[in-house]
Amino acid sequence: MRRPRTFGLAALGAAAALALAACGGSSGGGGSSGTGSSSNASYNAGITSVVNPSTHKGGTLTFDWRAAPDSFDPGNTYYAADWDFARFYSMALMTYKNCPGACGKTLVPALATGPGVVSDKGLTWTYHIKPGIKFEDGTTVTSKDVKYAVERTFDRGVLPNGPSYFQVLLGGNAAKYPGPYKDRSKNLMGLTAIGTPNATTVVFHLAKPFSDFNYLVTIPQTAPVPPNKDTGAKYQLHPISTGPYKFQSYQLNKQAVLVPNTQWKQSTDPTVSQLASKIVVNMNMNPNDVDNRLIAGDAQVDFAGTGVQAAARAKILANPSLKANSDDPITGFGWFFYIDSKVAPFTNVDCRRAIEYAANHTTLQNAYGGPIAGGAIGSTVMPPTVTGYQKFDLYEATTKPNGDPAKAKQELKACGHPSGFSTGIAYRSDRPTETQGAQALQQALSQVGIKTTLHGYPSSTYYTNFAGVPKYMSSHNIGIAFGGWGADWPDGYGFLDELVNGNTIVPAGNTNIGQLNDPVVNNLFAKAAGLNNAAQRNAIWGQIDRQVMKDAVIVPIVYAKALIYRPSSLSNVYFQQAYQLNNYAVEGLKS
Amino acid sequence: MRPRRAPARTVVTFIIRRLIGTVFLLIVVSMITFAIFFLIPKLAGQNAYQLASEYVGRNPTRSAILQVEAKLGLNDPIYLQYGRFLKGIVVGVHYRSGPSVTYCPPPCFGYSFRTGLPVWPQMVSDIPVTLSLAIGASILWLVGGVSIGVLSALRRGTLFDRFSMGVALAGVSLPIFFTGLIALELFSYKWPIFPNVQFVPFTQNPLLWARNLVLPWIVLAFLYAALYARLTRAGMLETMSEDYIRTARAKGLRERKVIFKHGLRAALTPIVTIFGMDLGLLLGGAIITEVTFSLHGLGLFTVEAVQNQDLPEILGVTMLAAFFIVIANLVVDILYAVVDPRVRH
Repeated sequence: MRRPRTFGLAALGAAAALALAACGGSSGGGGSSGTGSSSNASYNAGITSVVNPSTHKGGTLTFDWRAAPDSFDPGNTYYAADWDFARFYSMALMTYKNCPGACGKTLVPALATGPGVVSDKGLTWTYHIKPGIKFEDGTTVTSKDVKYAVERTFDRGVLPNGPSYFQVLLGGNAAKYPGPYKDRSKNLMGLTAIGTPNATTVVFHLAKPFSDFNYLVTIPQTAPVPPNKDTGAKYQLHPISTGPYKFQSYQLNKQAVLVPNTQWKQSTDPTVSQLASKIVVNMNMNPNDVDNRLIAGDAQVDFAGTGVQAAARAKILANPSLKANSDDPITGFGWFFYIDSKVAPFTNVDCRRAIEYAANHTTLQNAYGGPIAGGAIGSTVMPPTVTGYQKFDLYEATTKPNGDPAKAKQELKACGHPSGFSTGIAYRSDRPTETQGAQALQQALSQVGIKTTLHGYPSSTYYTNFAGVPKYMSSHNIGIAFGGWGADWPDGYGFLDELVNGNTIVPAGNTNIGQLNDPVVNNLFAKAAGLNNAAQRNAIWGQIDRQVMKDAVIVPIVYAKALIYRPSSLSNVYFQQAYQLNNYAVEGLKS
Repeated sequence: MRPRRAPARTVVTFIIRRLIGTVFLLIVVSMITFAIFFLIPKLAGQNAYQLASEYVGRNPTRSAILQVEAKLGLNDPIYLQYGRFLKGIVVGVHYRSGPSVTYCPPPCFGYSFRTGLPVWPQMVSDIPVTLSLAIGASILWLVGGVSIGVLSALRRGTLFDRFSMGVALAGVSLPIFFTGLIALELFSYKWPIFPNVQFVPFTQNPLLWARNLVLPWIVLAFLYAALYARLTRAGMLETMSEDYIRTARAKGLRERKVIFKHGLRAALTPIVTIFGMDLGLLLGGAIITEVTFSLHGLGLFTVEAVQNQDLPEILGVTMLAAFFIVIANLVVDILYAVVDPRVRH
């Protein structure tokens, strides 16, 4: 899942904001209704428990967002925060259990009555829809509405933003199906890979086995859309709700107001709540203003959920009562840099391992914001919050965080470059963390004789034109590229596949920048795809992670963390690992 | 001997001539903007497929990128794309937005590459915010800046003069993202005199509209008023030392009349020119003020468009900003033409 962008101009105000942090330092944080600790609120309480549990109804729950959605259309969004928020107004087939900690990664049914029933050697997945689920206009949801919801995502000219899993995984005519806007035949139900034998049954026919399919149908793309209410690109302005809230108004990229959906029943959907009497989402807000409004109690939730800015961070950490209302979880997002195994001299694994040992993890961690805002030093590709994670540290990242130049030199000797070599480092120059990270890495590598040149590129074209283009990397002798990843769903496949599966290497937009095409890794992925036993499958993710680290195509920097502030007026607050954010759909106001 | 033309007819001819020039200028601006965003990347080696891939979700399939490329018409020759853009502004355009074909009426600046929705209605909905901000702030800075400038000039060398010019220097030096944040921190959070600053339309609640804009007005006006105060002071000092001022005083005119009718009027001429330019620029979007105070005007719209690399939005807002600047200049020129007949020729 993607993280929304932040204002570039905000960086210009950073110095002013930091100065202001001192103004508010220990004064009690603005001294308004939003401050002060509650009975069970304490620092990091929201990581392992529900803070301010309450069934109180009423009030306006205000979300402030420094960005805006890629779309509120459930079929056209790829932002993590959007997927989390979408459960207020849409019901996907499956979702995650409401609970903090690892429990929050447990799959539970939402629109479906239970997990998919697998048949035909893993090629067919059948779901039954709960009876009595209604759209906001009172019409009953049928299996055709689910099929249509998936079908419309095939027209990428109209709905370009969402993920492409269904186009890739489904069988039948999926490879050539243009979507219902172009194929108006068969009563708009022309995709043969999805069957609807009756009004409550949806059958997905896959082109190849895919054991993570239950995770896939948690994506809002499976939330039903009534064909006669579909307005294409305009559907984002008023998606027809099946969740506890419906859109009252939406001014594009400015403000959305949601009110309770009277057709929704808690009894049919226990995974979400209808507590507030109104939800307001303010968009494209100044990030520092978002933090101030949270602390002042003018807003309750930072929609982006990626943590407060430097100014508010200083203010919160210096004030015990504010600190008690904050959490600093490992988010599930990972920052790392790739080593391209096809760019000389990194074709030799020992040269790649030299980089693993030479990297100074402390300076890299500081470049990413330090242990609180940046994250914990990483030693594996998968962060600890991903299902299948196994703890190991092949290159002493956590035991010798300042690097091990002696071992790096040994590896250099083994790869035939005892006095070092030259290579390039690619990074996103509009991201201060990566810019500082690249400089820190350059400094560390120079200690062992590896000379590097820095190549900064804009974020918007980083993958499409530069680091994600293998030919470009080779022709410019760039062997190292910074990157980051957040899984679309919280298991090893969701995190690892696009990063290290040999099948995912593409000429442009490549995310397997290490160009790892290790048969061991590829075979493990293939094996896992056919395994419907979760425990066996999860064990494989750990094996893949270990093998990738042996191959040394990725150097983990940090398991990302974010300091998240939760106003004391907010109820039922906790960090849910599945969304890598707080669980929005159960939140309300304490009083 | 040529017959003398009627002054009113001359002014009308002048306005028509300038309006024709304005249209021509806007076409040139559109061509340059279009070339910057569509032609230059192509010359730098970026192909339509790469461009299209920026507007699809993460890890898209090849067919998804090709669909987007076709939908946005990125594979067409540049002249065709530009022609389509111009045609949209003049006669509107039909485009596929899902189950039906949508008509985008003129002036249609195309549809957003990100949201798939027409650009013009989005910009129109932002204009009231920018207009409210610019008009309010401009009144403040014009009245404040000119008054302080005049008083400083008349009390040259006094404590007031030194203090006000010192404040003016601070106003010019301090960036809005600094003064704005300070103002918010102090008057919105620490002492919540203006709490929860959010734009409220004038038509909805005039009082709340004004209350929520006071801080942005003051912050924006502080920057400009400082500049105007210094300019007015310099202009007044120069004018008040002219011979005709001495003559006016020698003739026994009252000092107030000397200052306001003969001194200030002459000193204001360059101020009017700059005011027209500044107001025109601000109507195109007070970017930093809008970002600082999270006001959804054309400035914030511009920032979003640039961050999203949304070319139709960037084109649209550039054209609109250019239009405001050109029109503001036109108004200033017309005012000049009215007061000074030499300009008409």
